[in-house]
Amino acid sequence: MGRSRSDLVVFVAKRLVQLIPVLIGVIVITFFFTHIAVANPCVAWAGPKASPSAITACEHLYGLDKPLPVQFVNYLKGLVSGDWGYDPLYQVPVLTAIEQYFPATLELVLASIFLMVVVGIPLGVVAAASNGRIADHLVRIFYLSGWATPTYIAGAVLAIGVGSTLGISGGAFSTLSSPVRTLTHMSVVDALLAGNLSATGDALAHLILPATALAFINMGIATRMTRSSMLETLPLDFVKTARMKGLGEFVVLYKHALRNALITTTTVLGITAGTMVSGTVVVESIFRWPGMGLYAFSAITDYDFNGTIGVVIFFAIVVVVANLVADVLYGVLDPRVEWR
Amino acid sequence: MAEDLLRIEHLSVDYHVGAGTFRALTDVSLSMPAGRVVGIVGETGCGKSTLGHAIPRLLPQPPAQVRSGKVFFQGTDLLKLPKWRMPSVRGTGIGMIFQEPINSLNPAFRVGDQIAEAVQIRRLREHGRQPARKADVQGFDYSKREMPKAADVVTGPFVPPNLTETLKQRPPPISKDLQKEVLDFLHLVRINDPERIISLFPHELSGGMRQRIMIAMALSGKPSLLIADEPTSALDVTIQAQVLTLMKELMDEVSTSILFISHDLGVIAEMADDVGVMYAGHMVEFGPVAEIFESPRHPYTKSLIRSIPNKYKEDGVLPSLSGSVPNLSRLPNGCTFHPRCPMVRDVCRKDPEPPLTDLPPGPAGLVHRSACYFPEEVASLP
Amino acid sequence: MSTATVPARRVAELSSAPVPAPRPAAWRSNLILFWQILRANPLTLVGFILVVLVSVTAFLVVVVPLITKPLLGHALSILPYPALDAGAFPVTQAPSFAHPFGTDNAGADVFSNVLAALPTDLGIGFTVSGVSLVAGGLLGLVAGFWDKPGTLSGLISTTIMRLTDIFLSFPTLVLALAISATLGRGEYQSELAVLITWWPFYVRLTRGEVLAIKIQPYVIAARAAGVTETRILFRHVVRNLIEPLAVYFSMDVGTVIVTYSTIAYIGVGVPSSIPEWGNLMPGYQDLILTAPWTVWSVTAAIFVTVLGFSLLGDGLRDILDPRSRRIMATTASARGSTEK
Repeated sequence: MGRSRSDLVVFVAKRLVQLIPVLIGVIVITFFFTHIAVANPCVAWAGPKASPSAITACEHLYGLDKPLPVQFVNYLKGLVSGDWGYDPLYQVPVLTAIEQYFPATLELVLASIFLMVVVGIPLGVVAAASNGRIADHLVRIFYLSGWATPTYIAGAVLAIGVGSTLGISGGAFSTLSSPVRTLTHMSVVDALLAGNLSATGDALAHLILPATALAFINMGIATRMTRSSMLETLPLDFVKTARMKGLGEFVVLYKHALRNALITTTTVLGITAGTMVSGTVVVESIFRWPGMGLYAFSAITDYDFNGTIGVVIFFAIVVVVANLVADVLYGVLDPRVEWR
Repeated sequence: MAEDLLRIEHLSVDYHVGAGTFRALTDVSLSMPAGRVVGIVGETGCGKSTLGHAIPRLLPQPPAQVRSGKVFFQGTDLLKLPKWRMPSVRGTGIGMIFQEPINSLNPAFRVGDQIAEAVQIRRLREHGRQPARKADVQGFDYSKREMPKAADVVTGPFVPPNLTETLKQRPPPISKDLQKEVLDFLHLVRINDPERIISLFPHELSGGMRQRIMIAMALSGKPSLLIADEPTSALDVTIQAQVLTLMKELMDEVSTSILFISHDLGVIAEMADDVGVMYAGHMVEFGPVAEIFESPRHPYTKSLIRSIPNKYKEDGVLPSLSGSVPNLSRLPNGCTFHPRCPMVRDVCRKDPEPPLTDLPPGPAGLVHRSACYFPEEVASLP
Repeated sequence: MSTATVPARRVAELSSAPVPAPRPAAWRSNLILFWQILRANPLTLVGFILVVLVSVTAFLVVVVPLITKPLLGHALSILPYPALDAGAFPVTQAPSFAHPFGTDNAGADVFSNVLAALPTDLGIGFTVSGVSLVAGGLLGLVAGFWDKPGTLSGLISTTIMRLTDIFLSFPTLVLALAISATLGRGEYQSELAVLITWWPFYVRLTRGEVLAIKIQPYVIAARAAGVTETRILFRHVVRNLIEPLAVYFSMDVGTVIVTYSTIAYIGVGVPSSIPEWGNLMPGYQDLILTAPWTVWSVTAAIFVTVLGFSLLGDGLRDILDPRSRRIMATTASARGSTEK
C-alpha cells in the first residue's frame, strides 16, 4: 500500500540520504562567503593597538595564514571528526557551545510553537467560521499586524515596555532567584526537575515574553493558513455529512473540518522553521536569552569565524530537519499520502 | 389527513452574490405524508438542490438567505428553531445522501468510525445519556419501529450547550456492540465483507462502494425523512443501476420517507410515488408519478418527458427544448416559463405569476397540481 | 477516479447566470476594470493607496533637493529639519506642532529621521525584490522549461535546482547577517547580503509555475498544432508567469524591508550615520517608557509600508485569478448599475 511503518522508515532514510549533498553545499557556501571578502578577524580581535607580531601569532593559531583551500580542507576534516573549531571569544569548542546553548533555544521555540498552535490555529477557525463578519475582520487585522511588525520591534516593546513594567528582567531566571542545577539547559525543565516551584514560576515568567515575541509573526502565518484552508474545507460535502449526522457545530468544526484543514496547515511548519530560527537571533539578543540565537548574535557581531560558520551550518540543519518533520507530519495526517 | 411528515409552505430562497440577487427558490410549497417517496425533478440550476439543502438548513448563509416561508417537519417549523437546536433534528430526524460520494465522506477518518459516529449519536438520543446496553441493540429491520414523535425530537428539555456537555456527547471509542451494529448496517447495504471495509479510508473504496457507505451512514441514524440529493448522478451507469436497485430494495425494508432529488426523469419514474417538477426556482407541477408521466398538466413537464431518449421513437430525432433556463437574477414577468412555452398567451407574460393550483382529482383521487393557466390544453401539445 | 466538480462553485451553478468574461481589450478598459475591482475591495484599495503614498513621498524626499539645487542655488527638502541632526533641539520633547513626532534623546526631529529613512528602505525593498525577481525568474524559467533529463540543458536545470535547494535550506536572516558581517558595515554590503539569500525563492516559485503551465492542455494543443517552442515560451509560459510573480513581488517588498532593517538593528548593516528604520531602533527602544513617540513613529512607518504592500499583494492575488476576477467584475458592474 505504501503506508506501512517500514515504508515510512524507507522514506525518511531516503530523504536523509538526499540531505547529504545539500549539507555539503551549505558548508561550502558558508565557509567561502565568510572567508573570501573578509577583513582579517585577528585585527578586530587583537584591537587597534596590537602589535603586528601578535596579529601574526593569532593568524597562525587559527590557521588563517594558510591558503583558503587548505583552510577549507582542514575545516572539513574537523567537522567530520566532531571538531567544529575553537571559539576564541567564549574560549570553548564551537560544538560544546552549541550543545550548551541549543536546549534553551529549543525550549523557546517549543513555547512559541505552542502559542502558535493554541492561539493561531483556533483564531483561524473562528475567522473562517464567521467568514466576512466582524470576527473575521478582527482576525485578519491581527494576522496582518503580525506580518507587518518586525520581530525586533515586537521584542523591544515586550522586553523594555512590558517586561520592565512588570519587573521581569532578561535571561532565563531573575538574578534574585535561587540557582537551579543545570541538567538539560532548559530553564523550566531544570526548575521542575529540581522540584523548585518558585524557580519554575520564575522560569515561566521569563519564557513567556520572548516566546510571544518570537511567535508573533509566525502566529499570523499559522492563522492565515488555517483560515484559508478552513475556508476551502467548510463548503465540502463531508462537512455537510457531519452536520447531517446530528453533530454539534463545535465537533463539526474542530473534529471534521479542522482535521482536514490541518493537513495543509502543517506546511506552515516548514515555512516558519526558517523565520523562527532567524527570529531567535533577534529575540534572544533582546531578551538576553541564553540560547543559540544569543550565541549567533555575538559570534556574528564579533567576527568570530568558527562560531559564525558553526551556527549557520547548525541552523541550516535545523531548518532542513524541520522541513522533513513537516513532510512526515503531512503524510501522517493525510491517509491518502503514500510514502515514496 | 393526519399531520404531514414534511410540509413546506411558500418557501423562497435568495442568493446574494456581490450586488446581484439570484432567486433560487420562489414560493415553493410541498407536503409529504409519512411513508411516501417524493421525487423532485428539473434541469440543472432549477433550485432542486437548494430545496433539499434548505429543509435541514444546510444552506451557507451568506450567500443564501431564506426570504420567506415555513418548513414544518413533524409539526415544528425548522426555520424558526434556534440554530443550536438544529443538530437534534438532523441525523435521527432528517438524514441526507449527497451527490458526490468522493466528497461526502471525510477523507481523514476510517469508514467504520464515521458510521459508528452516526450510530452513537442516535443511541445517545434513544437512551438519553445512558450508555446503550446490549439488550437494546436491535437488528437493522426497523420497519416496526415507532415513529419518534415531534415532541421527542425537537422539544426536549432545554439543555444549554456547554463544553462538558459536548465532551459527554463525544462518542466513546468504538465498542463491541457498537461495531456489531455498524457491521449490520453495512450488511444492510449489501456489503459482503464489512469486517474488512470498516478499517479502510474512503479513498480506498470505489465510487459505488462509497455511496453504499453513505447510504448506510444516513440510515444508521434511522431518520424519519431521508433526503437523497442526486445520489446516483456522479456514478457510472452500471454502478448507478446497482445503487438504485439497492435503494429500491431498502425502501421495502425500512419505512423511511424519502425526498428523492434527480435531474433524471427515468430515475424518478422508477423510485418515486409523487413527483414535483421544478423550473427556475418554481414548483410548476406536482402529482402522482403515473399521472405526471401519462398526462402532464404543465408544458414544461411535457417537454421534459418528450426529451427522454426512447428506443421506440423511430424517427431518430430527439426533441429538445429550445432556449435555456432564465437568469435567476432577472426572472421574466408573469410565468417564468413563458419565453420558452409553445402555447404562450398574453396573460402569461404579465404579473402575477400563475400559482400552483389543485386540478380536478384524477382516477386515483390523489392531489395533482399545476402552475399553468391552461392545464387542459397541455395534452394537445405534440 | 473521476475528477470532482468544485462544490464551492455551487452558487454559480445554481444561479446559472451567463457571466460575461472580460475580453482582453485595450489598456484603457483594463485600467477601468482595475479601478472597479479596487473599489469593490476596500482593503486592496487601502493597500494600493498606502503603496502609492509611500512611493510618492520617498520619491519627493530624494528628488526635491536634486531639482531645487541647480534652480535656486540651494537645496530645498520636504524634510522639515535635517535628519539625525544631534543637538538641534531640546531632547525627548513630546509631539507638538513644530515636531509632529517629537524629538529623540539626541535632540533630533523624529519626523525628519523617519521620513529621511523612507527612500533608503523603500529603495532597497524594490531593488532586492526586483533583482531577485529578474535573476530568480530567469533561472526558474530555464530550470522549468528545459528540464529534459539526459541533455545538457537538463544538466543545467538540475544544477540550478540543487543550488537553489542549498540556499533555501539556510535561515535567510542568519545567512544574511553572517555575510553582512563579513562584508563589513555599509548600505550596499548588506543589500548584497540580502540579495544573496533572496533570489532562490523566485527560482522555486517560477519553476513550479512553469512546470504547471507546461502540462496545461492549451500548451500541449499548441505544441501539437506545430507552434514553435519560442512562441510557446513567450505567448503561453511567460505570459502566465506574470500574474503569480506580480503577487509574490508585491508582498515581498515589505519582507525585504523587514529583513534589511533587522540587519541594521542587529548592528552589522547600514552604518549608524545613515538614517534607516532598523538603525533608529536601538537608540529609541530604551525610551519606550519615557519617550514612547520615538518607538511608535518608527513602528508606524514600517507597519504602514509593509501593510500596504501585503494588502496590495493579497488583493492582487484575487484580482489576477481569472475566476475571481470574473465574479468581481460582474459584482462591480452590478453595483455600478444599481447606483445609477
